[in-house]
Parts: sequence; C-alpha cells; structure tokens
Amino acid sequence: MQTIVIATRVIRQLKGDRRFLALSLIAPLFIIYFLKLLFEGLQPEPSPMPAMPGMMRPVIPVGKFMMPAMAFIVHFLSFVLCTLLLVQERTRGTLERMLITGFHKTAIIGGYTIGYFGLATLQTLVVTAEAIWLFEADFDFKSLTMLFLVVWILSIVSVMLGIFISTFARHEGHVIPFIPMILLPSVFLTGVIVDPDKLPGWAEFIGYLLPLRYANNIISRIGEANFTFVDALPDFVILIGYAVGLLFIASLTMKETE
Amino acid sequence: MLAVRITSLSKSFGKNRALHEVSLDVPPGSIYGLIGPNGSGKTTMIKSLVGASKPDSGKAEVLGLDPLLQRWELRKQIGYMPQVPALYGDLSARNNILFFASSRRIKDAEERVTKILSFTGLSDRASDPVRTFSGGMQKRVSLACAMIHEPRILFLDEPTAAVDPELKRKFWELFRKLADSGVTIFVSTHLMDEAMLCDRVTILKDGEILLVDTPQNILAKGKMKISFVRSGEKQSLMIPASPEALVIELQKLGLGNSVSELRFESDSIEEVVLSMIQKSR
Repeated sequence: MQTIVIATRVIRQLKGDRRFLALSLIAPLFIIYFLKLLFEGLQPEPSPMPAMPGMMRPVIPVGKFMMPAMAFIVHFLSFVLCTLLLVQERTRGTLERMLITGFHKTAIIGGYTIGYFGLATLQTLVVTAEAIWLFEADFDFKSLTMLFLVVWILSIVSVMLGIFISTFARHEGHVIPFIPMILLPSVFLTGVIVDPDKLPGWAEFIGYLLPLRYANNIISRIGEANFTFVDALPDFVILIGYAVGLLFIASLTMKETE
Repeated sequence: MLAVRITSLSKSFGKNRALHEVSLDVPPGSIYGLIGPNGSGKTTMIKSLVGASKPDSGKAEVLGLDPLLQRWELRKQIGYMPQVPALYGDLSARNNILFFASSRRIKDAEERVTKILSFTGLSDRASDPVRTFSGGMQKRVSLACAMIHEPRILFLDEPTAAVDPELKRKFWELFRKLADSGVTIFVSTHLMDEAMLCDRVTILKDGEILLVDTPQNILAKGKMKISFVRSGEKQSLMIPASPEALVIELQKLGLGNSVSELRFESDSIEEVVLSMIQKSR
C-alpha cells in the first residue's frame, strides 16, 4: 500500500515537472542526433585518388558502435536524473519526514522504482525509435523487440543504480563525483568505443562488473540473423540480476538515522 | 508514565559535540520548551526522540518506548514537524496531508484532512500547490501533516521561526488547546519570549543543559529595578525579581504620603536567559 502511494506521488511529480520530463525525453533525442553527426564525420569520404598504402582512414562499423552508444545515453540519463531526484528528497527533508512518519524504506525504494518504470519505458521507446530511424537500422520484429527489451531493462538497472548511489549522497554535490567514477568506465570498458576483447585482461574484468557490458553483449549482436532470445538469455538474466541486487543493496544502505 | 525521559544522552558529529550527558523528564499533557541559541543541540535532541538520530551513549524513551528499537510502534503515536517545511511543492495542501497520512491506516482520512485544513485556516487554499504558498502557510501545512493522525506527542522543531506575529499567536493558542486535551507538545525555539508560553523549559547551550524550570521561576532569577520619588527626591534600587523579594522591599520602604511616584522594571526572560548563558562561559 505504502509503495503504491509513493509510486503515485513520484508519477504525479514527474508528470508535473515539465523541465524534468523535457530533459528526460527530449535531451536524449538531441544527443543521439549529435551522435549520428559524429559517426558521419568519422566515415571515410569517397576519394577519386587511390589511397596510399597504410594511410586509409578507418571505417567505423556504425551498427556495432552506434547502438551501444545509444544504450549508454539512456543508462547515463536515467542514472543521473533518478539519483538527483532522490537526493533532492533528502535535501528538502521529505525523505526524513517520510521515514519518521512511518513509511518503510523498502516502500520508498519500491515506490521510486515503480514510479520510474513508466518514464524508463517511455524514454526507451523514444530513444530506440529515433536511433533506428536515424541510422536506418534494418531490424526485423524479433531484433526490434530484443533491442527495446535490453535498453528498457538497462534503464531500470540505471534507476536502481541511481537509488543505490543516492543513499551515499547527502546533497546534490555529492552525486557529481559518482558520475565519472561509475559511468565513464562503462564507456571505455564495455564495448561502447573499443571492443572489450581487445582490452588488457584486468580492464576486461572490470568491464564484466559493469551492467552496460551485458547490455552491449546483446546489442552488438542484434543484427545477426541467427542470434535468438535463447542466445541472449544469459545476458538478460545477469541484467535482471543487477536490477534485483541493486534494489536489495539500496534497501540495506539507505540510512534511517544520522 | 512520562511522555519523554532522557538519561545521559550524548551525540557528536565528528569533533562537534551536539549533546553532552543530557537528562530530562517531560510530563504528559504539557507544553515543554527546548530553548537555546542556534547550534545548541535542540534539533539533535528532537531527532534522537523521533528515532532519526542514533545517540552515541545514553538512553531516550518516548511514551515508554525506545525511539530506535521500537520505532514502528512509536511512530504511530508521535507527530513530527521539522524545521524546514519538508513538503512536496507540486502537491496541493490537501494532497500533502493525505500523502503523509497514508503512511498509517487512517479510516476517515479525507474527513480528517478537511477538518484539519479548516482548523489551520487553509480551507480556501486546500487545492493549490504548496509551492505557491507563503512561508507561514507552508508551516501550517507542515503542522497539519504532523497532526493528522492525532498523535499523543507532537515534536515541533522551531515551528514559529520566520512566522509573522499574528500566526505565531495562533500557533501557540493551538498548542495550548492541544495540551489541554492531553497532547504533549515538545517544542524547540530560539525565541526566548516563547519560553513564557511553555509549562516548563529546558535551556540548552553547546549541547548541555543550563537549566530546567518553569518560566516563572526562571524570570524570578532575574533582577527588578524599583524606582520611586520620595519627598521630591528620585531613588532606585535593584532587587531579585521574585514576588517574595518585592514584598519584603516594599515593606522596608514603607509607602507613605512622601512617595509620589513608583515604578518597577523587571528583566525580560530573554535578559535572564542571556545573562545565564554569558555566566556559563
């Protein structure tokens, strides 16, 4: 009951905060468009002159790197926005008041999770639709479903990560150091820029600890004709495990007393 | 049973000592004031009593319950109004109250909210978002949130800070009405004049108790200046501000026809408390 009450309040707050909604839904659209411009700029231009040996510009496999980059944007925004909103609860005193009034911390975390489900779903729909359209990805229904599912679960994991990290921050400023600490390794070590197989063993190991790695394992193979849900199942299970695990840890780390 | 019992409670934040060996008892159905300058430990004490702060040592009991170990049982019976309004600006006054009420199973919540909105003079603005409210109105909503479940004890952390005199008077009238109906009011303030409105006060300074007494007894610890004109000559003398001392002095003076003017000037409670704080340095 308490969970539903909190979820309803979070949804009402999200609906009422137009700036926040715009930031959650419109900002990623722009970023993905900038991403398209970046990838276009990286493609070699056709030249009438024969290329000199060893001087070829690299060909960027857009399908392989564009979709993981899109997933990272969803991961980044969901994490940052959810963390900030929860930390705001702390700085405004409403989190403490909820706890003293008699709300259970598990109900607060559960309420936030449910409240964000809708936004995460909407964000995933908008972002994947734009990415597919902009990059002219030729996906069949199975691939589209798989892409939507993986980005959606990733955004839920990001929300859980946000809830977990927010338990360590006393004010908004405390969130800032966590952004590079947690999100930048995801860019470098999970296949967004570099193929993880080409990284040194220790770096590849760190990549395995990050949820984006498992999302990218699926995303990078989505276009393949013989890639099925059964093949993607282990990575899906790990991602769901991250969501459940983070939810559990957050309920342990959320402090009720000072 | 006492409403609150604190025994040798201490709490530090790093090197900063917030409370040191504090002990006090609060009888039920009274207005108990926690008076002291900013940083004296008032908020920490209230947070220790509502289970939001874990003391380093010592013990606190509220209605015979441990605020940490028996917090779920206790939270049904207490109301807490923090120093900041701690409300959702996008929600209306009614929905804020309903939201905090929903943490407990209140059968007639809607009805109670309507009543409390009227009680706090918020009926006309009940549906407006709280972010459009003045500071004083937000305090009223915050108080309503703390009272909606009809608690046995209300913990109020500086409820009248930044509130205009008219509203302040209304708040204190409300506190007195609640206390008369058996609710214990545990209120902190840095405004010394509010001490006079309490049944009993504790003066805190740097996390330590300077004094626990009734406001009248605290006032009696001040001084009174008696000025008079006798046979055309102005005279004055200082005496302790107690009624007993005044009677003795007036008897000594002998009020005959030669006295043409008589004035009394007593220290205010603020002057008495400040002089105590200064002496303690």
